[in-house]
Amino acid sequence: MKKGISTFFLSIMMLMVIVGIGAQDADKYAVKAPIKIQFWHALEAQYKPLIDKVIADFEKQNPLIKVEAIYQGSYADLNEKLIAAQAAGTTLPALTVANTPYVAQYGAAGLCEILDPYIKATSFDINDFGEGLRRASSYDGKQVSLPFLISTQIMFYNKDIAEAEKIKLPEKWSDMDEFMKKASKISGGVTQRYATVIPGWDQWYFEPFYLNAGVKIIKDNNTTDLGEPTAVAITKKLKQWCDEKTAYWAYGKDASSIMRQNFLDGKAFSVVHTTSLYEMYATNAKFKVGMHYLPGNATRKSEIGGCVLLIPAKNKQDVKNAAWKLLSYLTSKEVNMLWAKETGYMPTRNSVLQTSEAKAFLEEKPAFKAVFDNLNNINPRIQHPAYAALSKIWMQELAKVIIEGGDVDSSMKKMAQLINEALED
Amino acid sequence: MTTKKKINYRRREKLKDFLCVLPAVIFFALFVYYPIVKLFQISFTNWNLISDTYKYVGLKNFKWLFKGSGFASLVNSLAITFRYTFWEIVITIAGGLLLASLFNRESKVFSALRSIVFMPRYIAISASAIVFMWILNDQYGILNYVLKVIGLKPIMFNTKENALTAVLILTGWRVIGYGMMIYLSAMKGISPEYYEAAKLDGANGFQRFRFITLPLLSPTTLFLFVTTFIASMKVFQSIDVMTSGGPYGATEVIVYWIYELAFVDFRVDRAAAVTLVFFVILMGFTAATMKFTERNIYYES
Repeated sequence: MKKGISTFFLSIMMLMVIVGIGAQDADKYAVKAPIKIQFWHALEAQYKPLIDKVIADFEKQNPLIKVEAIYQGSYADLNEKLIAAQAAGTTLPALTVANTPYVAQYGAAGLCEILDPYIKATSFDINDFGEGLRRASSYDGKQVSLPFLISTQIMFYNKDIAEAEKIKLPEKWSDMDEFMKKASKISGGVTQRYATVIPGWDQWYFEPFYLNAGVKIIKDNNTTDLGEPTAVAITKKLKQWCDEKTAYWAYGKDASSIMRQNFLDGKAFSVVHTTSLYEMYATNAKFKVGMHYLPGNATRKSEIGGCVLLIPAKNKQDVKNAAWKLLSYLTSKEVNMLWAKETGYMPTRNSVLQTSEAKAFLEEKPAFKAVFDNLNNINPRIQHPAYAALSKIWMQELAKVIIEGGDVDSSMKKMAQLINEALED
Repeated sequence: MTTKKKINYRRREKLKDFLCVLPAVIFFALFVYYPIVKLFQISFTNWNLISDTYKYVGLKNFKWLFKGSGFASLVNSLAITFRYTFWEIVITIAGGLLLASLFNRESKVFSALRSIVFMPRYIAISASAIVFMWILNDQYGILNYVLKVIGLKPIMFNTKENALTAVLILTGWRVIGYGMMIYLSAMKGISPEYYEAAKLDGANGFQRFRFITLPLLSPTTLFLFVTTFIASMKVFQSIDVMTSGGPYGATEVIVYWIYELAFVDFRVDRAAAVTLVFFVILMGFTAATMKFTERNIYYES
């Protein structure tokens, strides 16, 4: 009996200690005094009402925290300002978005606060994000950011033409030849309608064609496979379609806007772009816009795009605590669907997909089925500190050989050599 | 006044002079000389701008620049920069002189025309670059539309050969009026007596221009040459907005390359090494120009 009582009290005490430690940890990250913080983002003016609404709701729930949301331009502009602030050690925002490829560089340099202790202390449900998303926002096994506005590569197509002309969208790389012939219109050597347009201004768009064929962009020994026969064969195919004028390689400063215009004007049956632009296409097109998951090869996967949220580590602890509150709110289940509905980015939480809201969203925008069906096939981007240098070489050399012409074999070999040098650096 | 008092007075005057220039000295020390010293230091490190720590790596960045893969990029970007600079100088000096000669008239119409030609100088480069991007757009641009209407072949500016020309068209539009205004003000300073005397001697219009106007404008030409040279070697904004250094690096001028090294590749160490080399080139070229023109410039005007 005595033993039973002492065991009972011991258990109670242990429980109290555990709860106490947990409460102490959570207390460590609590906001105790009024504070004003900055949130840097890259959402353009059209999203200002949405940002304002979300921030106002957050401030209502957290009266001690005032948030100044600042639009800092494109992801590249924001990156410049962030690293300048990081170098100066002042004027850093409490919370900022960052384009997914920057996670590796920022993580390696220690720019980001490691979020694991915050996640543990506040019992933040990190496992509600898919594994790919968790990996895309972590570095070296540590959670240095959280997924925010996530997109992936997709093929937008003219649904009206597809139905009228019974054009079958390509499921496999081997279907592409037939698709190119069927979806394009060429008369007298002049293309009236391209089957598709491939963005060559950012390697992210054409990267899945290589990855799905089994090309290792960066191998374990820090070299590339891009000069090998599989990669060369993919490039030859891309060049062949462009030479035949059934497709074109969109490259140059305003290539993105020209590509969009060509699609909206009916000069292109389809375009490869990002899911985040669905709203733009659907609103401006005079026809029904469909989304089709990119054709597969050995695998059928796409990559994560968009941005993550991170807290700069150099901030003071009270600022970081307030930033964590905001970060948790912005990535919470309640706000997650709102981003998806209003921006065209994808829901990031698995639990959100089971809600009636998500079902209603899919009924309203059935084109997103192509994305929802493939959520498990969306992988993190390749993370490597030299990836920016690699992608620049890749984009330039590919555009040169496809647009200006030349021997694909020797160009790819030369390109691989340059990339290997960059990786070795 | 005794000698001692004189010395004190001189000292006070010197101190006053020094105090007058002190704010400028502090400003230059903080924002010009200190960054140059810091740049020198960074070029010997492996700093990536976002890390708090770095190591000294000796001449590694310079070896990469002169003996490694950086050399081809250096040669390429220097060649593009000099090509761009050459044409900007030609447009500013030759175009400015030509327009100044044409518009050197006193009437309301010419005054209005001068204002119109000069106005682009005051329009933000970024705004005008975006407008020119659309004027010169390969597919949807108004220039190619007009060319098509009159039965001519469209010009593809988004090519290796023509991309720099597109940027130079914007540059020409912006700088030609500036060159004209500087030359016009210099022309006003030339005494009419020279022209009257030349006329009496039977000199025709071209001879008066060749033997009076041109030599007396040489200090202005030198001023325009040096200032345009330094400014155009540092061209960045129009390249950033219109081409981002593309296509395939065809417009990657040296400042844009430095920017990419620092902010895209996160290699501020290499960016510092390139900047130092660029600094030396600019200093050397400017000094050489000043030395060369010392004996060939007429300062009577």
